[in-house]
Amino acid sequence: MAVLLMKQEYDVLIIGSGASGGMAAYTLTQQGVRCLMLDAGPAVDFDRHRALKPVYDLPYRGFGRPGRFPHITQASEFDANLWADEKENPYTYPNGDPYYWVRIRLIGGKTLRWGRASWRMSDLEFKCRDHDGFGENWPISYADLAPYYDRVEPIFRVAGRRDGLPQIPDGVFLADNSPDSLSVQRFIASANKLGVPTTKSRVATGTLASSANLLLPDALATGKLTIVPNAIAREITLDPKTGMVNGVSFVDRQSKRHLHAAARVLVLGASTLESTRLLLNSTSTAWPDGLANSSGVLGRYLLDQFYVKNCIQSIVPDARGGKGPRNLMGGGGYIPRFRNLKAGEKKFLRGYAFDFSSGGTPASKYFPLYGDALFQELADAANTGFNMTTMGTVLPRFESRVRIDPAVKDAWGIPSLHIAQTYTENEREMAKDATGVAEELCRGAGFEVLASHAEMVPPGESIHELGTCRMGKDPKTSVLNGFNQSHDVKNLFVVDGSAFTSGGSQNPTLTILALAMRASQYIAEKMRKGEL
Amino acid sequence: MKRRQAIQAILGTPILTALPAASAAPQQTPRPANDLPKLATTVADAAADAERQFFTPQQLAVLRRLGDLLVPAGENRPGASDAHAAEFLDFLLAQSGHARQVLYSNGLDRLQLESGRRFNRRFEDLTAEQAGELLTRLQTPLSYRAPLAEFLWAARGDLLAATFNSREYAAAQTAAGRRAGGLGTYWYPIE
Repeated sequence: MAVLLMKQEYDVLIIGSGASGGMAAYTLTQQGVRCLMLDAGPAVDFDRHRALKPVYDLPYRGFGRPGRFPHITQASEFDANLWADEKENPYTYPNGDPYYWVRIRLIGGKTLRWGRASWRMSDLEFKCRDHDGFGENWPISYADLAPYYDRVEPIFRVAGRRDGLPQIPDGVFLADNSPDSLSVQRFIASANKLGVPTTKSRVATGTLASSANLLLPDALATGKLTIVPNAIAREITLDPKTGMVNGVSFVDRQSKRHLHAAARVLVLGASTLESTRLLLNSTSTAWPDGLANSSGVLGRYLLDQFYVKNCIQSIVPDARGGKGPRNLMGGGGYIPRFRNLKAGEKKFLRGYAFDFSSGGTPASKYFPLYGDALFQELADAANTGFNMTTMGTVLPRFESRVRIDPAVKDAWGIPSLHIAQTYTENEREMAKDATGVAEELCRGAGFEVLASHAEMVPPGESIHELGTCRMGKDPKTSVLNGFNQSHDVKNLFVVDGSAFTSGGSQNPTLTILALAMRASQYIAEKMRKGEL
Repeated sequence: MKRRQAIQAILGTPILTALPAASAAPQQTPRPANDLPKLATTVADAAADAERQFFTPQQLAVLRRLGDLLVPAGENRPGASDAHAAEFLDFLLAQSGHARQVLYSNGLDRLQLESGRRFNRRFEDLTAEQAGELLTRLQTPLSYRAPLAEFLWAARGDLLAATFNSREYAAAQTAAGRRAGGLGTYWYPIE
């Protein structure tokens, strides 16, 4: 196969343009480092690629083409063209244990559609083994990452309220002192009675809170960043003399031409499973089990967050019939982890959190009626809804893993992943506990509970996949050191969620951004000293 | 023809009944050579009738009747029939997975069977009270699934969505001075 070699060499080659790759580019270019960024997808033109349309103009009236996205429940017919096509990008999982791998292959990655929840992790997560004896500690502590959280939050214009809760450390927020609606106040009072903490949501604000508008433009403005879209990384290449990384072979998404980009340092920010997939596909005599995998744990310790979506759907009774005051409904908030803040409180390890929200009309599926009776009930229940969703910690386990499935290749001939992750009794017990608490809180607030359940969505559906290329102090049990640097190959860094040693009940993106910034700062310093 | 007239009535467009009398050809000035006009077109449903793709005629008749019962028309509110929800679901089910197709086919056939067994009548000929006896599964809590219940809950949800998301529903909302819902940001294919 003829390969066209690109003539320029860059200081750093970044794979991926989402939260982690985007932050690497932002940080490195500001330090004067010349970066080449490859992303598997095209750039979005917000004027040309989207338009306001009525649902009846869509071919499937909003239902979406049947079978188009068997594993992406988040996709709608409106945004179907944003999500990575599952036929072009196949993967496998064990029979009976589905994994929902949700991907966006566009410049900006999943930050084009993320939920923007922005929570700091604490030493309950970074030093989890010290706390409850399970798993491994991270090789860093909260104190190591705090200065980077401080710098990331203003970039993403995170709004929130400082509450002094150690399990979700306060940050540099746009102050959210908005008043709570009466229904939310009642809910908070109910939570206070049970000793359950509540706070405002912490979210990145703005019309778009993406790498595409908050990181990449500033990086490009330095003149030190070159972005190549539609570049699907195929394999990492090594200098035969030194064994160090010297670049990446990639395939042009549209033409399927093969090219090679060279650099002194490689930063992987392709998203958790794609970075690991690239490493696993980069085999050689020196690295038969995947590049930089002397530990044997590359691909292992896959985790995410479990979600129980709408674990509670309730109604605020005095809002029925539109009779409540104007400030009765609206708004919402967050309940941070409150279980096992002292180790061993419950029979499960770690904890969970809730999002709660007031307003909206409960879906028709909650009303066992039909015809005019249903319509009357829906009208009566308009804007009376109060619901909660659980997000919980998933324990990192060796047997939860990804590997290459040699029998399955994507549309560009690159071997795909086999993903094996199941939830265990620990997650199930947490989900049950969470639903019980949620119901107690809602009833304590005087809400009418329509339905509750403790059914977790399949692994992966949270889109918070983490691990498989974990950090650690010991090169025998981890792939990366405390600066996201490979133990084995010193000019290789992995800065996305794959580096996580463990997770929490917090959404991980803010931590991914902070880690990527910290690692990039380290790279720039090492390069200045001539050590990379 | 009836369906086309119904749509035109809702959309407020004139109904053509006979050809106009022949008249002299109008004077036309040539269009500019570099003119790039935007041509007016119409949606297929305004000019044509959907062809049946998945259900048998008998099943479609049951689904239409079911739509009338579950999503009846109301004041300024088209029902499932006005929105041609059954015809839309016929199109959707033709492309759906096997499990969904079986759920619907079996469900519709079972309704027809129970109707004949209990009332010695076709489902589409039952009175509302008689049909109500077969639809009691919709009045059990969400978590309980008797035979036929799963189909009825699925059909109810789909008929509601197909109705609310229809052109006819949006037109009726607009005509009633209400904001027509269902607007969203559509993303085109990104190359």
